[in-house]
Amino acid sequence: MPTESIHRRTFLKVIGAGAAATAGLRAAARASAWETTGDSPHRYAMVIDQAKCTGCDYCSEACRAHNDIAPGIEWNTVVRSGELAGQPVYLPRPCMHCEHAPCVEVCPVKASTRRADGVVLMDYDRCIGCRYCQVACPYGARSFNWEAFTGPNPAVPKWGEPEVPRRPRGVAEKCTFCVQRIDRGLALGLTPGVDQAATPACAVVCPVGARVFGDLADPQSNVSRLLADHPSYRLREDLGTGPRVYYLPAREEAQA
Amino acid sequence: MTKRLSSAAYVDRLSGGMGPMRYRVWLAVLGALMAAGAAAGVVVFARGLVVTNLNDIVPWGLWITIDLSAIAMSAGAFLLCAAVYLLGLRQFQPLARTATYLGLIGYSMAVLTLLLDIGRPERFWHALIYWNPHSVLWEVTMCVTLYFGILMLETAPIFGRSSWLRRRWPKLAGSMQSLHQLAPYLAVAGLGLSLLHQSSLGATYGVLKARPIWYRPDLSVLFIVSAMAAGPALTVLVSMLAARLRKGVRVDDHLLERMAGFIGWVLVGYLYFRFWDAFAMTYTYEPGRTEGLRFITGGPLSFNFWVLEILLGAIVPIVVLLHKPWRANHPLRMLALGLVVTGLVAYRWDMTMAGQLLIVSYLSQEFAASYTTYVPSLIEILTGAGIVAYGALAVTLGIRHLGVVDHKPEPEQEETLASVPAAAGCV
Repeated sequence: MPTESIHRRTFLKVIGAGAAATAGLRAAARASAWETTGDSPHRYAMVIDQAKCTGCDYCSEACRAHNDIAPGIEWNTVVRSGELAGQPVYLPRPCMHCEHAPCVEVCPVKASTRRADGVVLMDYDRCIGCRYCQVACPYGARSFNWEAFTGPNPAVPKWGEPEVPRRPRGVAEKCTFCVQRIDRGLALGLTPGVDQAATPACAVVCPVGARVFGDLADPQSNVSRLLADHPSYRLREDLGTGPRVYYLPAREEAQA
Repeated sequence: MTKRLSSAAYVDRLSGGMGPMRYRVWLAVLGALMAAGAAAGVVVFARGLVVTNLNDIVPWGLWITIDLSAIAMSAGAFLLCAAVYLLGLRQFQPLARTATYLGLIGYSMAVLTLLLDIGRPERFWHALIYWNPHSVLWEVTMCVTLYFGILMLETAPIFGRSSWLRRRWPKLAGSMQSLHQLAPYLAVAGLGLSLLHQSSLGATYGVLKARPIWYRPDLSVLFIVSAMAAGPALTVLVSMLAARLRKGVRVDDHLLERMAGFIGWVLVGYLYFRFWDAFAMTYTYEPGRTEGLRFITGGPLSFNFWVLEILLGAIVPIVVLLHKPWRANHPLRMLALGLVVTGLVAYRWDMTMAGQLLIVSYLSQEFAASYTTYVPSLIEILTGAGIVAYGALAVTLGIRHLGVVDHKPEPEQEETLASVPAAAGCV
């Protein structure tokens, strides 16, 4: 009997030590994590005017260059979504940066997070590459790095210079609203959506001004005013994901 | 009582009922499959998941199916341990040992498959450190890890019993065997964790509103109930195969027959839930879900669904396993149990595919669904076959060297068994 109780005690000790080690590592991890915490006075959003979009795909090209995206991957895609008065209607689709993002909910390691300003981001150092986020995203906005991107980026330098490091093989990635431009711009005292250097590359490059980026928390921002003056819709609103990308539908009078 | 405790010497190592020649061929086949699988695995780790036929539209495929099936077929472990240690059905103890060993091997197969499947296998431990309690997959990872640990403790006495270990490290073997004392506590933990995560694997699909054919509460129930049929089915099937192929392995056929009858009733319950799950989907038109149901019942998956899942995977085994004369017929019973296992794999595959091959558009003006296809690449098939061969080898070796299938009462347990009839009688 004594051997047995010692045995049990040792067993409990091992379990206890393991639990303590896990808790300690967790605390350390939490301190360094890039989580949905803190406050922000901003609520970033994008408004895309389908009446203006000509389907030129400049936005996708600029996105590729500035975010150094592999040729097989698209953060932004432009699809032909219909026709109006004999004219094609296009729908550019970046990440929706959902308020209730399925990708953030399902990620088993919190590699997908949502910042207080509404930007949904990936932590590429934490992602384990399970691809649950891809399966969960209703918008097909996520891409997986099936292989390493080693060669030159065909979109560089014509469409811009890379501003972020390349993602390694085996992790998921997606549109970030060009968070590097937003954050650097804010640090320099610029206003995202007003100053080009602080605005997503797709919005800057758009030759017809179909993409407008800005702060919904500011009632005077261009996005707030556009949404106040025009009817708008969001993709699959029925799902309750709360996208932060709004579309102004193509209008008959705008076609002429 | 038709006990088949008639085989002779237990201690013959080489000359099994299978014959040394056939045994060597069997080992050679498994070895070849494992070597091919290992080579393919090296290719996966060297070149990345680009060598698969998975893509951004179908990110989950054959490997996930193997993973889900291996976990489901491990369900015999928690069920039989609960039966023996919580319900007091002591006579099932030998079967619980087989099931626990199969569970350990099944979970190790799942872990191997997952390591292949995730893009960054060196970060497999991240879920243990970076918790996201909102994620079903996080919960599954935690439960699988914890339960894998429990299975190791539960199977430690089996390994401790091996004559090699007892000769080499008698003390270690002794303490491993004494872990048997923890069995009732482990059975409670195993029951809780297994009920939770076997169902959660269904919920992994079930919570995704992006996939209407998955997005419903029933998947978690169907996953656990189908696992409760297939896990014990594999346990009984392996026991029967062992008794036929290996001289010296003794099984209590009365026990196996009772278990087979239980499986038949579980299948009745499964078919009942399955019917209402499918039928309820026809009440209304739901974009994507209705197309998904049609995809399963009348589209590319319809053969799998009607023939493999429903007819051969449920109806035929129900009839065979619940009709006593047929259940008593060994070849017929083994066939039925094999069909249950096949039906489960078909179900996991069809569910995995249905949610992905059907693409629901995000464009608000078109609710029409479009379809894609997925056929696993050679590398996926080779690695998958290698993992299945590893499982088969582990079970073969377990039967030959660890007495994993052995219904002969052990000397130390005879006294326990002697005191059991009273306890067993009141259940």
